[in-house]
Amino acid sequence: MVLSRLGFRDTQRAAANLAILTDCSEELVTQIASVADPDTCLASLARIAEADGGCERLVGLLESDDELRLRLLIVLGTSEALGDFLTRHPEYVTDVAADELLRRPATLEEYRAWMRQASDSASLRVQYHRALLRIAARDLTAVTTFVESSGELADLAIATLDAALRMVAADEEKADATRLAIMAMGKTGGHELNYVSDVDVIFVYEPTENADDTEALSAATRMASAVMRLCSEHTREGTIWEVDANLRPEGKNGPLVRSLTSHVAYYEKWASTWEFQALLKARYAAGDADLAQRYLEALTPMVWSASNRPNFVADVRAMRKRVVDNIPHGDRDRELKLGSGGLRDVEFAIQMLQLVHGRGDTDLRSRTTLLALHALTEGGYVGRRDGAALEEAYEFLRTLEHRIQLFRLKRTHIVPEDPEDLRRIGRSMGYRQSPVDSLVKEWQAHRRVVSRLHEKLFYRPLLDAVASLPTEGLRLTQSAAEQRLAALGFADPVGAMKHIEALTSGVSRRAAIQQSLLPAMLAWFAESPDPDGGLLAFRRISEELGESHWYLRKLRDEGVGAEQLARLLSSSKYVTGLIVRAPDVVALLGDDAELVPHDLDRLSTEMELAARRHSVPDAAVRAIRRVRRRELARVAMADVLGLLDIAVVGEALTAINTATLQATLAVAMSAYEQEKGPLSVRMAIVLMGRLGGHETGYGSDADVMFVHEPLDGVADAGATKCALWIAQTLRQQLAVAGDDPPLQVDADLRPEGKNGPLVRSLSSYAAYYAKWSDTWEAQALLRADAAVGDADLCRRFTELIDPLRYPEGGLSESEVREIRRIKARVDAERLPRGANPNTHLKLGRGGLADIEWTAQLLQLEYAHEHPGLRTTRTIAAIDAAAEAGLLDRGDADILIESWRMVSRIRNGVVLLRAKPAESMVEAPNDRAGLAHLIGDGADRFEELMDRYLKITRQARKVVERVFWD
Amino acid sequence: MGKQEEFVLRALEERDVRFVRLWFTDVLGSLKSVAIAPAELEGAFGEGIGFDGSAIEGFARVHEADMLAKPDPSTFQILPWRGETPATARMFCDILMPDGSPSYADPRHVLKRALGKAADAGFTFYTHPEIEFFLLKGKPGRGEQPVPVDDSGYFDHTAQGGGQDFRREVITMLESMGISVEFSHHEGGPGQQEIDLRYADALSTADNIMTFRTVVREVALSQGKWASFMPKPFTEHPGSGMHTHVSLFEGDENAFYEAGAEYQLSKTGRQFIAGVLEHTPEITAVTNQWVNSYKRLAWGGEAPSYVCWGHNNRSALVRVPMYKPHKSGSARIEHRALDSACNPYLAFALILAAGLKGIEEGYELPPEAEDDVWSLTENERRALGIAPLPRNLDEAIRIMESSELVAETLGEHVFDFFLRNKRAEWQDYRSHVTQFEIDRLMPVV
Repeated sequence: MVLSRLGFRDTQRAAANLAILTDCSEELVTQIASVADPDTCLASLARIAEADGGCERLVGLLESDDELRLRLLIVLGTSEALGDFLTRHPEYVTDVAADELLRRPATLEEYRAWMRQASDSASLRVQYHRALLRIAARDLTAVTTFVESSGELADLAIATLDAALRMVAADEEKADATRLAIMAMGKTGGHELNYVSDVDVIFVYEPTENADDTEALSAATRMASAVMRLCSEHTREGTIWEVDANLRPEGKNGPLVRSLTSHVAYYEKWASTWEFQALLKARYAAGDADLAQRYLEALTPMVWSASNRPNFVADVRAMRKRVVDNIPHGDRDRELKLGSGGLRDVEFAIQMLQLVHGRGDTDLRSRTTLLALHALTEGGYVGRRDGAALEEAYEFLRTLEHRIQLFRLKRTHIVPEDPEDLRRIGRSMGYRQSPVDSLVKEWQAHRRVVSRLHEKLFYRPLLDAVASLPTEGLRLTQSAAEQRLAALGFADPVGAMKHIEALTSGVSRRAAIQQSLLPAMLAWFAESPDPDGGLLAFRRISEELGESHWYLRKLRDEGVGAEQLARLLSSSKYVTGLIVRAPDVVALLGDDAELVPHDLDRLSTEMELAARRHSVPDAAVRAIRRVRRRELARVAMADVLGLLDIAVVGEALTAINTATLQATLAVAMSAYEQEKGPLSVRMAIVLMGRLGGHETGYGSDADVMFVHEPLDGVADAGATKCALWIAQTLRQQLAVAGDDPPLQVDADLRPEGKNGPLVRSLSSYAAYYAKWSDTWEAQALLRADAAVGDADLCRRFTELIDPLRYPEGGLSESEVREIRRIKARVDAERLPRGANPNTHLKLGRGGLADIEWTAQLLQLEYAHEHPGLRTTRTIAAIDAAAEAGLLDRGDADILIESWRMVSRIRNGVVLLRAKPAESMVEAPNDRAGLAHLIGDGADRFEELMDRYLKITRQARKVVERVFWD
Repeated sequence: MGKQEEFVLRALEERDVRFVRLWFTDVLGSLKSVAIAPAELEGAFGEGIGFDGSAIEGFARVHEADMLAKPDPSTFQILPWRGETPATARMFCDILMPDGSPSYADPRHVLKRALGKAADAGFTFYTHPEIEFFLLKGKPGRGEQPVPVDDSGYFDHTAQGGGQDFRREVITMLESMGISVEFSHHEGGPGQQEIDLRYADALSTADNIMTFRTVVREVALSQGKWASFMPKPFTEHPGSGMHTHVSLFEGDENAFYEAGAEYQLSKTGRQFIAGVLEHTPEITAVTNQWVNSYKRLAWGGEAPSYVCWGHNNRSALVRVPMYKPHKSGSARIEHRALDSACNPYLAFALILAAGLKGIEEGYELPPEAEDDVWSLTENERRALGIAPLPRNLDEAIRIMESSELVAETLGEHVFDFFLRNKRAEWQDYRSHVTQFEIDRLMPVV
């Protein structure tokens, strides 16, 4: 026989083990080779034979009893731990013999009788493991289904508690003083236990007639602790499981046992939502049956009114967050139980639906997850197909969990990585051909079913409640739907139902597509601080679009796009506004490559091409502005979705406005030619302020200066007139109100400010700067980027201003004094009345002005000797100053971090409210929205605020040292 | 929700409580109170009671006045001076934002955060304050000199002043509110009293100090007297300090104790002291928060003026007291700069943070000061590396301003408010013409 061909991995060891099992037939060896893990099976057989004092009896049994052989080999090929048990007790091999093993699941009463045969801690363990052996044998040979075997495990646990309590009571002197009942909770109560799991219980006691309550309580407490110890202690026969009593009132801090009255009082007054959820599973396990019955009668009704409690919605959210959050990072992909879409999430979701709807519908009140899911499906609370698919997936995942646990009887919920383990598990679940691949494939498929769990369970049925389409089975009633929406955090469920109705009613294609899209959208809206707002915006977009619903198809086809849209609509009014006015931008969603901002060259080309298609200047500029609108949306959407760094946002918005000016200048110049005759000037636009610094925010104006130069042979006056016409046309065209955000072109930073001429020739600039220039003008020129229009003119303008802004020898003392004096005045005077000096974004402590003035002072003083400082960008200037040793690296990092923080808030507020921001937001809604948008969650504003105040305070300290001293 | 809330609601009925006062503390350490009817309490336990935060010193930023006070049921007590039936009760509150998250402006939350950080490192923090105050013959009017109730000194048995009766009544009331008193006696100045509270975890102690101040004032009023916690009411008498013994526990073990070490003081204890000494100048504006506090520090006696430590050295800032043999649990150190008019939540948070910093960074403890530091010359102190405490509020503010430790511990909101408030106090004081100047100058210039 070639052992390796049969499927043994370690042939040497297998041969050695076979040598122990002398006389075993070739047929038997072939059968061993066919189990899930042949090596383990064979090794266990050999160990059992040795323990039995020779292989004769074992081989004899295997060869003579076909049923025993089948069961034993399958069990030993799946569970090394049960092999250990049989090695300790080879005599119990016959427990799986033909006549011994029932052909149906054992009943609770049978288990009670069986476990009551135990007389001490050791025999309790032996009885338990013998029963477990048979459960595994039935389970693995498909005599029982998953529902049956997990039910058997729960019954065995209950019978074990019962036997343990009897043993304990026999030893308790004052047992007569008290009645004690053990209630099974959790998966034991739910009749759906794992092979290895903690067993959740709650103890309730009552003094017997004429007994002293104190005495009864202490006797009950002693007995309860003794039961827990008896089940969990490790002996030479191993342990059974931990008994966990932490679901009791007040958890770990509460008394271990309580009277019925005290239980009732607690649940009436203090219990939280999760405690009622837990109570859903309560079932009598052991001890005084009458007391247990009264316990259930008193408490069960409270479970069904829990969803009426004032904190229900908030509690459910917090609970789900806990369910989904606590997942150790390393095991994320292999975890069955925890995390979003894990088994606990499924169970949690089903229990929530039970609590919300079980109040009015008694059919839903099952303790067992799968039965409850089934009832929810039957009752129309969950869609029929979704319900069936979830049942299947849940059963698969639980079975997988069982098989993983069976091997070592270890409490684990992690799918192993080792291919040998996966092979064994795959084969035990019936995947004979390439077991590893098949198992993983099937597992992933079921996981996908579960992954959109909430959408399917919670949201899809809401649509049935309003849609007039025929559905299979029952549909959710209007009032049940409203109850559910309220439980999910919609502040106005009636209004929400109207939106849902408007979005889905009718037989149009639009309605059909929205019907399939909406459940997921609702789930995403519900995760934001303002679900109602998101839903309303979605309805508005849908109505704006009328029947041009290609975009819905886009959303339907690409899940990511829909999720992104939901996030955008429920968190940013600015983006919502852009989408409502230009729905075509939705096409950019779903593909991160589309959400990368375009560079200046590409933008210029696109805008010029768009303009060229129109001969009328108005139409050409409108075309340019349409491109701008689309690109603003691209950047804003990517920003809200967290794809862009703040510096990238500044560069991208700057590029958009630069290209817009560039293309519009070209249109204005050709318009002049059309209307007035030949051009008499070359023109350039110098970008100033934030635009020049490549730090444009949403809603920033475009600060510029216009420069021109008469063409050869043209008189100055005529040229100026021509340039003025062009500049005015450009400003006007970009400021006109339209469907897109206008761009205000602001030339106030020009020489002489508002009183100076709007356009100047290059020579006029030269004359002005030679005569009049003040320090503040040199400072403003640090941000000048001559980037638009005639390239040669731009170059010569730059040459003109460089000596001013990078003055040879730096600044004189009086110039430094002058800058400081102006800054002091700005600090004192510009801050609006009533504004908080700590949180004003621009002029506040450690805000943008503080940081930028500091950088600019260093530039004016040192740019002549450090070329790195010759930049219009704030961060680049600070970096260069640090590299040149003008600024401590730590100080530079603080300034940069503060600048980034303040800029993010400034942009964040515009995105949030679609209104420009002067200060940190104050209104509670805005705070939650901002913390949701750029912080760690809607309820974490105080932390965001603390971070903001900290970094700006530190920045101010640096400014104090660097700028003021 | 749990047994404690249940207990409170039951007690309300059983003891015929008609009003419940919800207590909290503003940033400067004044007790604030909102009275509610028992019927409102269940809601208060669940979601808190709304109030206008802008009315409270240091709480709200502009426009965000809505705040919630959520009572801590473990602090429930009947107020003994309000009579038995019907009774009035009080509970301390945590301050929450409308979204239910804790407010960063709440001093109690500041201390809780600091205690949480200590817990992360495995420590619990215990404190034991010795609170001094003056008992006066009625509230002095504006411009009047306060008059002490008696003319006795340290440990004097005073027959006439009524201080004894007064202390007895205070102690009875405190005990009836579950606050244990360790010791009480007449202090050094005329009318000056000292009452020591039993050691407890720092949060309970801070709550107890707030209660203590109220009880003392109430009892004084009921006897037609006036009690003052002002740090230095009399130029010629010692001020009122709040020497506080502190210790860290790791589980049941006193982390400051090490058998056989010098003074039985463990490495952790030494590093804690080193941290406190290192950061004392930064935290002094909080431990001694009034212009007047620095007059106590300048006077000497039981008040330290220099940053140093010693064993039974009464001039040192930190004193390591003698332990009773075989009582490892009582190992502790005494911080002697604190005065009775501090905000105990903030002060404890900072002492703890400074000490923990010493442990985290493994600071070396400088040599002990064996001499009376007062009697050394300036240069001797320099030679020994003994720095002075900030000499006035202005100096203390300036040092605190650049302390990341203080900013981190208080949180930015409290840090900023506190500094602004104290700068304003200093500014007012600086521009005030005092009696001292008039007495000195008027006759001669």
